Amino acid sequence: MRKDLVFGMAGSGGDGIVSAGDSLLQAAAAEGYHGVMTKSFGSQIRGGESSCRVRISTSPILNPGGNLDVAVALNWEDFLKFGAELPVSGNTVVIYEAATNIPVDQIPLVGVTPLQVIAVPIAAMAKETAGTERAKNTVVLGLIAGWFGIGAVAVMKGIRKKLAKKGEELVEANQRAFDAGRAFAMEHPLKVSMAIEPSETKGQVKLITDGNDMCAAAAIFAGCQFFGGYPITPSTEIMQFFTDQVWKYGGAVLQAEDEIAGIGAAVGASFAGKKSMTATSGPGLSLKSEMMGLASIAELPLVIVDVQRGGPSTGLPTKTEQSDLFAAAFSAHGDVIRPVLAPTSVADMFRITVEAFNIAEYYQTPVIVLSDQEIAARKETLDPIDTSQFKIVDRLRPTATDLQDYRRFKQTENHISPISHPGMLGGTYLASGIEHVESGAPTNSGSVHARMNDKRTKKFDPLKERRDLFEVLGNPDAPIAMVAWGSVAGVCREALAMAQAKGLDVKLLVPYLLYPVAEGIYNDFFRSVQKGLVIEQTHLAQTFKLLRMHLDLPKGVKPLARSGANPFLPGEIVAALQNLLAELQRSHEGNLQPQE
Amino acid sequence: MSATGTCEYQAKDYKSDLKPIWCPGCGDFSVVQGIYRALAAVGRPPHEIAFVSGIGCSSRIPGYTTAYGFNSVHGRALPIAQGIKLANPDLLVLAAGGDGDGFSIGGGHIAHLIRRNMDITYIVMDNQIYGLTKGQLSPTSQKGRITCTSRYGSLEEPVNPLLYVLAYGAGFVAQASPTDLAGMASTIEAAIRYPGFAFVNIQSPCVTYGEEAQQIKGLKAISETLDSLGHNPADRLAAMDLAQQYGEKLHLGVFYRNPEPPPTYGDLVKERQAALSKDALPKERILDLFIKK
Amino acid sequence: MAVQGIDFANLSLMDALDLAILIEDEAQERYEDFAAQMEQHRTPEAAKFFRYMVENEAKHARELTARRIHRFGDAPRTVTRAMIFDVEAPDYDAARAFMSPRKAMEAALAAELKAHAFFVSSLPTLKDPEVRALFEDLRDEELEHQQLVQAELYKLRPETGLSDDDFVDEPTAQ
Repeated sequence: MRKDLVFGMAGSGGDGIVSAGDSLLQAAAAEGYHGVMTKSFGSQIRGGESSCRVRISTSPILNPGGNLDVAVALNWEDFLKFGAELPVSGNTVVIYEAATNIPVDQIPLVGVTPLQVIAVPIAAMAKETAGTERAKNTVVLGLIAGWFGIGAVAVMKGIRKKLAKKGEELVEANQRAFDAGRAFAMEHPLKVSMAIEPSETKGQVKLITDGNDMCAAAAIFAGCQFFGGYPITPSTEIMQFFTDQVWKYGGAVLQAEDEIAGIGAAVGASFAGKKSMTATSGPGLSLKSEMMGLASIAELPLVIVDVQRGGPSTGLPTKTEQSDLFAAAFSAHGDVIRPVLAPTSVADMFRITVEAFNIAEYYQTPVIVLSDQEIAARKETLDPIDTSQFKIVDRLRPTATDLQDYRRFKQTENHISPISHPGMLGGTYLASGIEHVESGAPTNSGSVHARMNDKRTKKFDPLKERRDLFEVLGNPDAPIAMVAWGSVAGVCREALAMAQAKGLDVKLLVPYLLYPVAEGIYNDFFRSVQKGLVIEQTHLAQTFKLLRMHLDLPKGVKPLARSGANPFLPGEIVAALQNLLAELQRSHEGNLQPQE
Repeated sequence: MSATGTCEYQAKDYKSDLKPIWCPGCGDFSVVQGIYRALAAVGRPPHEIAFVSGIGCSSRIPGYTTAYGFNSVHGRALPIAQGIKLANPDLLVLAAGGDGDGFSIGGGHIAHLIRRNMDITYIVMDNQIYGLTKGQLSPTSQKGRITCTSRYGSLEEPVNPLLYVLAYGAGFVAQASPTDLAGMASTIEAAIRYPGFAFVNIQSPCVTYGEEAQQIKGLKAISETLDSLGHNPADRLAAMDLAQQYGEKLHLGVFYRNPEPPPTYGDLVKERQAALSKDALPKERILDLFIKK
Repeated sequence: MAVQGIDFANLSLMDALDLAILIEDEAQERYEDFAAQMEQHRTPEAAKFFRYMVENEAKHARELTARRIHRFGDAPRTVTRAMIFDVEAPDYDAARAFMSPRKAMEAALAAELKAHAFFVSSLPTLKDPEVRALFEDLRDEELEHQQLVQAELYKLRPETGLSDDDFVDEPTAQ
């Protein structure tokens, strides 16, 4: 019996492959499994290629998985478009549409011999049982239930609920299609059984959501009452969640006329005393940079979510990448520190978003949450989160004494000045993008400018000591190390477990705080390190370079960097770590050679 | 009267301690006086007023006013103002800036504030020139005008700010000028009192880079009050007709005031909040939305 | 329009006095603004003259206030600053950076002439004889002020005919 299965399915938009993935994930959750689902699309609005990847496991899942255990191709042309996103190996069972008329020994997968290849007349079964080929996805779900033991009851329960309003006839048609798929699987058992073990946590409540919805929910939990934004893939769902919910909490949402107006309204709302946010993706981040600088100099709390996609410019709008790191850290001119946080999964998106608001409020600064398309769009099953353990921070308000002689940008010991807002008697001041003295009055003075730059940058010193925004996994004294953030961290977590199982002495650093660079924490981490990899989905090794800019990295630490939409597989990372170990051993042996 | 109906304010209560950087003789000195007077007439206490601007000579104006001021970035007074209004619809929100700020770099925002009917008063100090950067062509500069970026004369038609906002459906559109301070103050006051987006174009001469014809004397020669013309401010088409003469005539007063102002965006926001508040899960249970039963 | 919402025909003496005080206040504030502008823009001689005018207007306001208190005590005022606009205050556009003392004085002179004209034009509309008498006084005082400024002007050396702008730096871009 298997403990973990990775499904990858591809077809055209009309094949309903993504809704099949949704049904599978929900059924798995209902049966007590942990699950992660990611989606990937071509750029057509409708009818382009689409795929999903569903990983189901009896234990918590760290990432969407590497090679597929099960590949489902409704047609090969679409399947192949996803390339490395749906990697087939010698351990994969490949299921494909028989109507493609390709013999099982001639499927167009180059350089790999799958474990088993099965042609199934999916379309024909759908037509026969449901009267339409559109029921292909339900047939596939039946096949999965039959072969892999997931969702025999729960899938149809979910479909029934979803379609109840549309009438019994449709539900019945789906039931017939599902049964036909399941019967086919029963009649054609796999060469090697791949059924999954029953889950021990069956019956426990699970949440299912994706990174974008989780981010928005966390923001509302943190007290966010205003969202200003503009539609942009892959971040738009955050705004959509707000339009659904924020009114209920006395807040408002504005779909602005452009990216600049979106963040501008959020800056205004923050000035007016409300916690506020905006969300965007790379092109929008570029447009928002002037406003981010304004929020920095006016010392206004603000959370900006950047859901990264492939760049530059329009780039790859529907694919994930980590290449906005430099833009997140450095966008906007002038000497600015703007904290950048990155979640690594849907689960920790909650904590990181709440933390972003807390940091924004405490330090009176814009904060960027650097999400990515994969986290944003992937659905995870989650155990319920105990929200009572999260502390909510609000900005420092002036006291009655402060208001007697109110100076908005007063120098204080920790460089943080009480902030008033319109409506507060005695607190009127001028917020400005122009340099200002303590009262807020504009100035041209070089010495004031230097002092204020000092205030605005030194206030972040304590942030660089926040060890709780970093995670070290593995042996803390290991000589071989990995550094990874965002969705790539999940792959590295799994690679770490695999490497440890092979006896490698490796550790992994996952920074949730990317900027400002916490030199002390990295130096501590690298102290034992001789060889290492900074693993990232950027073409230019931006993370590695950002660290090098701030630290003297050990010579043996190198980037493992590649462009987005080419996911890392845990196996290849383990192989790279093994190479490092071999190099290390060779150099040790070299050192042992007698000196000439 | 203030919201509490107790205090009365005088113009000087809205004057801040900052000394204007404007060139002596600048029209904006009169404009800020007009604003003080209008605010005193309306009577809202300074701490209930948010005054937002962009960048430009005139955009310094919130600093010279006692209120919650925000001297933001070029062209973005209106987006910030609408965020303030949505965060707290009870505030009196003013936005101000120059013709370049409003009709060039920030020109895209006006239409949207108008169609949202944001209850914001937007004052443009129109001087047909970029003064802060030393006299370049502005969106309202006359065609043929020679400046340091149009050495042989501008090749472009100017924007007509009045027609622009009238065409987008602004509920209140007016024009004023330092040639008539009393008229300016009462026009700004009427704009603030209008429930919805209100626009006041103020012909405010630049003494340093402005042309002779656009100084006070020149403006006086072409000015006429709309009252004296018998204009009915409820007549939008007549208003558009008169607005066509922008640049040739200086019409002072209210071009258009919607006689039946529709609800403002802030009103609708409050309504929606009230209607939906009963459906809110307690914040600490918001993740229950993700439970699939 | 220099005034707004004033019924001259039925103006009481107290209101007339209060109005006169407010007119002086406005002028005093304007000269303060002008002096500050000149100081801000490195035009000290004009600033000095405007400060002198601040004192003149303040003095005049004090005299009028004394009269008002003597006659009406602290009875509440019914006229407001919102009723007057630039009666005796020089127009904002009269100021210029680097203006010569002569130009500053000419600006003040123009303001005094404006005020004089205001009182002259108001006289025929007044019915109350006491108010009339007050306005005649005020009109005459404006004449005295004019003479005062004229006297200062005579003290100056004749103008060279050169423009101030020919000597100063160009404006700076911000």
